[in-house]
Amino acid sequence: MYQRIFLAGNLGRDPETRYTPGGMPVTSFSLATNERWTDQDGQPQERTTWWQVSVWGKQGETIGQYLSKGRQVFIEGRMNPDSSTGGPHIFTRRDGTAGASYEVTAIRVRLIGGRGGAASFAGPRDEDVPPEAYFGED
Amino acid sequence: MYHNVILAGYLGQDPEMRYTADGTPVTNFSVATTEKWTGQDGQQQERTIWWRVSAWRRLAETCNQFLSKGRPVLIEGRMNSDPETGGPKVFTRSDGTPGARYEVTAFTVKFLGGRGEAPGFEAPGDEDVPPEADMEEDAIPF
Repeated sequence: MYQRIFLAGNLGRDPETRYTPGGMPVTSFSLATNERWTDQDGQPQERTTWWQVSVWGKQGETIGQYLSKGRQVFIEGRMNPDSSTGGPHIFTRRDGTAGASYEVTAIRVRLIGGRGGAASFAGPRDEDVPPEAYFGED
Repeated sequence: MYHNVILAGYLGQDPEMRYTADGTPVTNFSVATTEKWTGQDGQQQERTIWWRVSAWRRLAETCNQFLSKGRPVLIEGRMNSDPETGGPKVFTRSDGTPGARYEVTAFTVKFLGGRGEAPGFEAPGDEDVPPEADMEEDAIPF
């Protein structure tokens, strides 16, 4: 019925903006969300989850100009599975082993914290970006 | 800094409760979220994602007691990523090809609609469930 992903984290690399054959901009970047907690033994623990984020349309084009590696952003989006399995995308690493990724299509992007003051990008129209827009990539 | 997953969907199977070696209850079940939209060609499109949800401690017990296949639920949780890669855990399917799935550790579960009008439940204490509390590997739910 519904699925949403909320992320607050840091860009792992500079964003890349590309255009579909139809001229639709799409900006992609990887985002790390780092979580810390204290385990039952009182030891501090930490885990980083990596997300591959795509931002479509004008919002993507705009945010691509403002984001850079290390910037903090808040993302509201939805998970984009592999269309053939309904599960995470699977790829082959350079060493030949299999990897998998969390692919998220952003609905809203907001800059948080950091240099240059905060700006936000909310595109109500971009809420209507259909999930299948993702599949136009590549 | 933060991540959160919200799902509203239907159980694909009856929940299964087990106990860890130290006696902590953990309940696993799969949830399907189906999204529908109209494509640019005017055709109705549909996509289903399967999520493997685990609930711990008291929440595990209430899920096991009240949930069953086909029930609609609202889940609030966290993606249970592979600590080594930060991505989904990769496993080997029976045919030898690699597979992966969306594993979510729930900290809130609420019933949506349907028979019995059972109340929603949540376990505030379970927000402290460490992300590393992993589920066992078993058959993929689809």
